[in-house]
Amino acid sequence: MREPLSVAKVPRRSYWMKWCAAGFMILFLAMPRGAAGQETAAFYKQNCYSCHTIGGGRLVGPDLKNVTTRQDRDWLARFMLNPQAMIDRGDPYAKQILEESRGVVMSQVAGLTRERANALLDLIEAESALEKSQFEGVKFSDRPFTSQDVERGERLFKGVESLKNGGPSCISCHTVRGLGLLGGGRLGVDLTKVSERVGGRKPLSAWLVSPATTTMQPVFKENAMEAEEILSLVAFFEDAAKQVGDDDSVAPLTFFLMGLGGMVLVLGAFDIIWKNRFRAVRRPLVAGGQMGTRV
Amino acid sequence: MDVRSQIAMVFHLDKCLGCHTCSIACKNIWTDRKGTDYMWWNNVETKPGTGFPTKWEDQDKYKGGWVKKDDSINLKSTDKKRIVLNIFHNPHMPSMDDYYEPWTYDYQNLFNAKEGPDQPTALPISKITGEQIDIESGPNWDDDLGGSPIYAKNDPNLEGLTEQQKQQLFAIERLVFFYFPRICNHCLNPACVASCPSGAIYKRGEDGIVLVDQKKCRAWRSCVSACPYKKTYFNWHTGKSEKCILCFPRVETGQAPACFHSCVGRIRYLGVLLYDADRIEEVANLPDEELIEGHRSLVLDPHDPEVIAAAQRNGVHDSVIESAQNSPTYKFVKEWRIALPPHIEYRTMPMLYYVPPMSPVMATQEGKTINHVSDNLFHDIDEARVPVKFLANLFGAGHEAKVVYALRKSKAVRWYRRAVTVGDVSMEDAKKMLGAADCTVEEAEEIYKLTSLCTVEDRYVIPPAHREEAIEMIEDPHCHRQSVGFGFVSGPRRGA
Repeated sequence: MREPLSVAKVPRRSYWMKWCAAGFMILFLAMPRGAAGQETAAFYKQNCYSCHTIGGGRLVGPDLKNVTTRQDRDWLARFMLNPQAMIDRGDPYAKQILEESRGVVMSQVAGLTRERANALLDLIEAESALEKSQFEGVKFSDRPFTSQDVERGERLFKGVESLKNGGPSCISCHTVRGLGLLGGGRLGVDLTKVSERVGGRKPLSAWLVSPATTTMQPVFKENAMEAEEILSLVAFFEDAAKQVGDDDSVAPLTFFLMGLGGMVLVLGAFDIIWKNRFRAVRRPLVAGGQMGTRV
Repeated sequence: MDVRSQIAMVFHLDKCLGCHTCSIACKNIWTDRKGTDYMWWNNVETKPGTGFPTKWEDQDKYKGGWVKKDDSINLKSTDKKRIVLNIFHNPHMPSMDDYYEPWTYDYQNLFNAKEGPDQPTALPISKITGEQIDIESGPNWDDDLGGSPIYAKNDPNLEGLTEQQKQQLFAIERLVFFYFPRICNHCLNPACVASCPSGAIYKRGEDGIVLVDQKKCRAWRSCVSACPYKKTYFNWHTGKSEKCILCFPRVETGQAPACFHSCVGRIRYLGVLLYDADRIEEVANLPDEELIEGHRSLVLDPHDPEVIAAAQRNGVHDSVIESAQNSPTYKFVKEWRIALPPHIEYRTMPMLYYVPPMSPVMATQEGKTINHVSDNLFHDIDEARVPVKFLANLFGAGHEAKVVYALRKSKAVRWYRRAVTVGDVSMEDAKKMLGAADCTVEEAEEIYKLTSLCTVEDRYVIPPAHREEAIEMIEDPHCHRQSVGFGFVSGPRRGA
């Protein structure tokens, strides 16, 4: 559930902002839940938290502490609004960020406006000034993974054990190589090497706390995963990446061959079920008559 | 006793000359519409031959009719379970090739062809695809034994003939054949009606004509596979099944059906039979050899006061009963017993009967004289060019007795009339033959009259339909008169 609304949490910059924020509040109250208007801190938690910390070190994306001193606000706002465009335009700093993030492009943030970007930067500035930000990042247990963790992770992934807070299991959209013949869903990306892609245990765990992509956010917003579940899943993902190693074999081919085999089986079954069906009479008769002896 | 009336038919095969006029008359009236090109509600087949569709009598392939199983009979093509499981794919549908691909000719080519060394020809074009085709088959492809080494040799009725008989049948200069005109039999136990999942086919209460309701038909086509005579056809244009309607609009107005009316050889007879509907199931379950007698026993004597009373109780109009009393079919079927149902072993209880044909007379040669007379007066039946076994397969469920009975009687009547008019055989011999053939002089005269001197009124005794009374039950006849006409009020449409 959202926190009770309070104007106090919005940094005061001007009367105009205040009234604007108040306007947003009213709008938000008037609109059904899940609509665009959100309070900045909640918005941050929802959209930024999984990849960025403020003073907690880098996750998938860089630590945002004092980010406003590294680049000017206008640049930052533009980047936040459309990261891909900045990279495509060949902005050197944007490219540097991309490199540091091992090629993971910041995903487009749903419902982000110029005003909200500014509000977020205000929030980051304010939080950076504090000694210990509330967005320093979640603390995860860093105990070594056991085989039980991996097993539980697999069960959670496959949906054999359902997620406590009611989120859908990963397999409905994602697959991991080695799941068996049919694999998992193909809607989302292949998660076999996700732990390598996002840079290990910590960023992956942070990501799972509140997944921020446009597809996953609405799904997990209301039913976030628990810390223990995240731990198990991360263990499973790390294990999966290790199991596969550098093997890049094409999973779609097996899927295609299975489809082909299945079709042959079904057609064969039809042939057997309807083995007594009507077949041509006249043509075989004529063909047979010509070959047979004449009277 | 549940007495009902049925318009029944007799075809006298001895008189059929195979001219196909009946087929053309029917075609012109009923099946010259799009989608019906390949249908022949009436067709004439050459026997021995495979008929139309090719080898329709081979029920191992076509799965038509009923089969006896334990205490009851079941449809061969389907049952309640199978009809559901196969509803979207009827596995026993004849293919178009087993009928034939309907075609026309490219007549325009005769006028539009470019100048060249050859005369332009009108090439055949498929009526299905519009493309040029090689004609491979037609509705009477094996007419007059055409292609007999292929077609006639594969006639299913040759089953059970000895090798010698088969060879005789096809020996050069001894070839023999007869014609077998066929329409819907308007059966008492119709397999098409039983198989229809939509309940679109029904047997009319008043005269037993079997009809397909064009509004109810849903194109499942189970009737096509269920009918052992292959007399329901699927109209690929309207998506409905169609079949012979016994020209009911003509019959209802006192006219004979078109194929009857146009018959050149006057082989066709039509009249009412009263039958006992209560016993149909019992009779359809009889063993093969008792089927013909059982089937005959369903037909009731229209002069019997008990039958008349029961018919009246059932709402059969007095004029229909009177019509039944004058029915020529009753005489052929019940009194003289020389008309037999085709393939009664399919157990549909057909209401179209055939008088089996006589083969050409077998002659013996003594020196230079050819003698047609033998000491054995019925020698040409026992040693006929068409073996009795063949006719028995067609009209006697494989049993010869009933067929021989009919043939002997026909033969005896012939000899009797020969003795009367020509006088080259003695009346003594003729009477001996009549006696042996279970026939009296009076009966022979009657058979002779109805066979040779019959007028239209003798051949077609059509019961009054009393449509004027029927319509009174629904609406004011004067209003009805202004709202009807020829053709569909609204044509049949797919899915409608």
